[in-house]
Amino acid sequence: MYQSIDILSVKQISIQQPLCEEWMETPLTYTGDFVRAIDPDFRQFVSPAEARRLGKLLKRALATSLSALSEGGIQNPDAIITGTGFGSIENTELFLDALVREGEQMLKPTQFMQSTHNTASSLVGINTRSHGYNSTYSQKGLSFDSALYDAWLQFRLGKIENALVGAHDEMSPVFSGFVSKAGHVKKGEICSEAAVSALLEADSGKPAMCTLKSVQILNRPTAQELSDVMAGIKADAIITGRSGNPENDSWYSFLGNEVPQCSYKPLFGVNFSSSALGFYTAACSLKAGRIPSVMNAGKGPVPCRSILLVNVVEGRHYSFTVLEAVCGK
Amino acid sequence: MRREPVLITGCGITCAIGLDKSQVLESLLANRTGVGPIRYLKTGHTEFPVGEVSMSDEEMERAMGIAPGTPTTRTALMGMMAMHEALAQAGLSKDDLNAVGFVDGTTVGGMDKSEQYYLDFIGNDSRNAYISTHDCGSCSEMIADRFGRFKFITTISTACSSAANAIELAADMIRLGEADIVVAGGSECITKFHLNGFNSLMILDHGQCRPFDARRAGLNLGEGAAFIVLESARSAARRGVKPVAQLSGYGNACDAFHQTASSPDGEGAYRAMMKALDDAGLRPQDIDYINAHGTGTPNNDLSESQAMKRVFGECLPQVSSTKSLTGHTTSASGSIETVICILALQNGFTPANYAFEQPDNGVIVPNMNLEPEREMKHVLCNSFGFGGNDSSLVISNVSEY
Repeated sequence: MYQSIDILSVKQISIQQPLCEEWMETPLTYTGDFVRAIDPDFRQFVSPAEARRLGKLLKRALATSLSALSEGGIQNPDAIITGTGFGSIENTELFLDALVREGEQMLKPTQFMQSTHNTASSLVGINTRSHGYNSTYSQKGLSFDSALYDAWLQFRLGKIENALVGAHDEMSPVFSGFVSKAGHVKKGEICSEAAVSALLEADSGKPAMCTLKSVQILNRPTAQELSDVMAGIKADAIITGRSGNPENDSWYSFLGNEVPQCSYKPLFGVNFSSSALGFYTAACSLKAGRIPSVMNAGKGPVPCRSILLVNVVEGRHYSFTVLEAVCGK
Repeated sequence: MRREPVLITGCGITCAIGLDKSQVLESLLANRTGVGPIRYLKTGHTEFPVGEVSMSDEEMERAMGIAPGTPTTRTALMGMMAMHEALAQAGLSKDDLNAVGFVDGTTVGGMDKSEQYYLDFIGNDSRNAYISTHDCGSCSEMIADRFGRFKFITTISTACSSAANAIELAADMIRLGEADIVVAGGSECITKFHLNGFNSLMILDHGQCRPFDARRAGLNLGEGAAFIVLESARSAARRGVKPVAQLSGYGNACDAFHQTASSPDGEGAYRAMMKALDDAGLRPQDIDYINAHGTGTPNNDLSESQAMKRVFGECLPQVSSTKSLTGHTTSASGSIETVICILALQNGFTPANYAFEQPDNGVIVPNMNLEPEREMKHVLCNSFGFGGNDSSLVISNVSEY
């Protein structure tokens, strides 16, 4: 059994500067209600021929995955586990649009193939020649949390020593209209995109950003169940999925106000993979020893050695992830 | 130390060869295919035979007591039918579900309604409720919410191995004591979207599909749902429920070869089967029957044959693909075929590989006829998905624990 699950690296592509932590000091700010991610130069991750073939989600998944693996010094992870709410929605939309408007002829196999949710996990597997555990979760805004939970189980069962865990969602102009109609993104929230990959290793002996202590997920918990969970968790600070939308934010009222609470959605927007950005910001914060002021509404940084991440999806799915600073640091 | 077994205390199924376990068993014993001309799906591609569940959406809504006009999807409706049967067999009441987890598998999700109402989504607000039923996760929520409050819900989407991977996660949760009872499986309806997608990949047979046959020319799409109730031995003993089978081992591996094709040597399939055997603590010769993935595409059946030969060598047990009976039920196939394996174990027979006639070079020769009155202890069930997401389950008779 392992002593600790070390988080070696976390890489993101989002509406903040890609593959870096500039947002911690000088975040980009937006006024629109739909903002697409800022893409890095993909040439160092994919060949020009492959780049033309792959949709945005897949290129981003490769870029964050390969960066995380490279920084953590692992070539073939024992497990590749991915979350995605919609999968490659641009290719799905292209195929669907052609099917509905032009009929059942001349449809493109590449669009269909990329519309399947597990293409990101598979592509990373193919690209890194990783034959290990490979899975994909699609449970709305709980998709990343589900993937992380699975990885945590695999570690505890001793089936793996390391895992690449990520979440990827892209958004098209057409679907951004759909998700606001459906209430997945609410008034005052920025509909955004996210690609996040995290590399975890048990007892790595390498410099790590922080360690993973626990993951819990509950559907429609009772007040008693929520207080039982909270009673079992000790953390210096909480990072929540508050966004500024009153309905969304009310789901976090059970947390009370004894522990300082910070949020990432005002910086990164909202999408089915945004909880992965919460995880990313928590890991960056623990590495730095404090949650940056930009996540605390500009009221100054919050020093901490442990963080509870709370994600509430549609007021029914609750996830609780505890991360701690590396011992002795 | 001997690990506590993961028991199966209930299961439910609905597919082209039956709306419940008894109908499916009857069809299996009669070796009667459910693949035929399209009846329910509104498509111009009537040239492709399919394995449809023989109920309309409206008939399923009525059967499940859902008020007309309630937004729902065919995938969710079929899932509810299978869930209903599984919970009833396991003796789980609405109150019991508060402590039960649910891991679902689907890829198509609510695409049946999205392809119907896509232009409404764009042009007006008349079908907005169906935007919320588009994604995979909403399908699982609809199934779960029909029966009560499950304490945990998530959805796996690994294409055609989704349900098998859902069963694996559920079993891992039980092994770790994360839950005593987890319902797992998958559901998937046929849509124009993926019928056309598979057609664009040129892997649909224009006639009855023929897994492992030399003249095989692709798959027939099927649809359906199946769920199994996984339970710790301690919990089953406490509740006084009799297990129907046990899940003795399982493995997941990645072929890491191609997004839609399997490797020539079946590396991912080989690793998945080896992991499952190792996890179950069994040798290849302990397996009495393999329910193959066997889609009927030239590529899958050759690759899977290579993998089976590598694992089993000279001691290859009886093999059949039941996809020529049910059609390829894609994300649901892992759990539909698990239930078929459970029925085979319980009733002592090995299903036939319907429509097989002519052996092929390099390809295994499956069970041509149903083998009745056969005592079996352990069976292996393969599910392979796009992207090389390969999974194998070992299901065993309960007398073995």
